[in-house]
Amino acid sequence: MQEQKGSPSPSISTLSIVQMNDVSASYDSKNYVLKNVKMSITRGSNYAIVGQSGSGKSSLLKLINGMMNPSQGKILVDYKIPNISDKKFKSFMHKIGYIPQNLGLIKNSTVLENILIGALPRVSGLNSFFKKFSDLEIDNAKKILKLVGLQGKAERKVYMLSGGEKRRVAIARALVQKPDIILADEIVSELDHVTAREIMDVLAEAQATMKLTAIMVHHDLQLALEYADRVAVIKEGEKVLEIGVEGDKIVDFQSGNYTQREILEMFTNESEE
Amino acid sequence: MNQKNNLIIGLIIACVVVMSVNVDADPRDFAEGLPNIGIMLKEITEVDSSLFVTAFWSMLETIQIAFIGTVVGVAIALPLSLLAARNLNNKFVYVPVRALLAAIRTFPSILWAILFVIIVGLGPFAGVLAIIMYTVGFIAKLQYEAIEAVDADPMDAVGAIGVSKLQLIRFVVLPESASHLLSQILYIFDYNIRQTSILGLVGAGGIGFYIINYIKFFEYGKAAVFMLVVLATVLIIEWVSVRVRDKYIVKSQRGKQIKA
Ligand SMILES: Nc1ncnc2c1ncn2[C@@H]1O[C@H](COP(=O)(O)OP(=O)(O)OP(=O)(O)O)[C@@H](O)[C@H]1O
Ligand SMILES: [Mg+2]
Repeated sequence: MQEQKGSPSPSISTLSIVQMNDVSASYDSKNYVLKNVKMSITRGSNYAIVGQSGSGKSSLLKLINGMMNPSQGKILVDYKIPNISDKKFKSFMHKIGYIPQNLGLIKNSTVLENILIGALPRVSGLNSFFKKFSDLEIDNAKKILKLVGLQGKAERKVYMLSGGEKRRVAIARALVQKPDIILADEIVSELDHVTAREIMDVLAEAQATMKLTAIMVHHDLQLALEYADRVAVIKEGEKVLEIGVEGDKIVDFQSGNYTQREILEMFTNESEE
Repeated sequence: MNQKNNLIIGLIIACVVVMSVNVDADPRDFAEGLPNIGIMLKEITEVDSSLFVTAFWSMLETIQIAFIGTVVGVAIALPLSLLAARNLNNKFVYVPVRALLAAIRTFPSILWAILFVIIVGLGPFAGVLAIIMYTVGFIAKLQYEAIEAVDADPMDAVGAIGVSKLQLIRFVVLPESASHLLSQILYIFDYNIRQTSILGLVGAGGIGFYIINYIKFFEYGKAAVFMLVVLATVLIIEWVSVRVRDKYIVKSQRGKQIKA
């Protein structure tokens, strides 16, 4: 269902929405957690990031939404430099639907309250103080609840939900933002295969109908290749590969140096390490 | 290691002994005074029940002072605690607010009461103001600590959407700390009832006025009536706050176990 999305067509929308030029980043000014990352993500595509634990995947997403800033190199997201503490960038932040690894839901609030948080940038200060949302917003939120498969659970408190349901809430909150980009950090990693695919399908459908760019971190290369147009492989902070499926073959888009066999060998070696 | 511990314990005991001498704490005085307890107990049992009506009305005044003081105090404390929380403000905001709160906390309620008696005169209004001040200093500290304990994950996730600080407070901070805040408010109300009971000592209204006067004139039987009424009130409030706590605080956790 995602084959048609990556196909470039000669219009402005094919320009990359995320552009990273030799980006390095660190938390403690000693060790780089990301080194010289070059990345170009096509608008409307489904981009995946895989890599071992601690390789820097989550940090990469935080660079894209501006929670983290590069120590070297430059990032442009829709032609803007992402930085959460920059007043100018703040008005763009709702365009990025960020689903963190730990989801960041409000446990004591209901499902509906949680996902309406995504609409807050469109709500005035006074109305949000009284938790007053327009009928339009509530209808839209309920539509999205249905899309993610949570109909009938609007008034449930989040702490009562299952792990899979919580992920659906986090997705819904991001979609309510009406974003251009969805950043999702391992949202299906801890789920069983059936639930993981259900949730991936929900996201794929949303991506197609809302014309989003999806950038998702995955644990499972198989799943990443199945859903994404491009898969970046991160190893110890470096982007070592950018691969994708063409026809029935895995292709190396980054250097073109590796064959499918060599790529697969790299992964079998890795899992034995 | 063990020797070091023994040394520390020995030192602490030595301190207690030396300090006891300094404050004239002599166990022999206590032993000599023991018969006085008998006299007091005997008089207390001679309860003067004709005073129950007065006791009831003065207790009602005490409850009203505590209630107004708690509600207004909490209403002032909550915004201050939001300003004092380090996870919501920079230090140019939270340092002065914390300093102000620490200054307010240096006075116990009885000193505030004396101060307000001087300012607004004798009567319950001075008591209300004293309870407000005490509540602000005390509850704001508990509340900013509860606010700082709010999980950083939802704060970061919602912050990344580009919401305003007030929206962040309304949709993340308050829901995530609500059960703590509520239980602290119940606690301070309970505490305020008890401390308002003694504000009458300095003429700031309430039941304490009668208690202190009867004790001053050795009328323990009469004082006992008022103390019984305080005791009954405290027990009733305890019972009510346990109900409220069960309903709004404990239930949510039980729900977690059953429905998960
Ligand atoms: N807030 C932080 N402060 C300091 N170091 C951090 C911080 N967050 C992550 N790191 C370090 O940065 C490196 C990359 O972390 P990151 O979370 O990006 O990895 P990841 O690929 O997402 O791992 P995982 O698959 O386990 O989620 C790790 O070595 C981690 O210890
Ligand atoms: Mg991670």
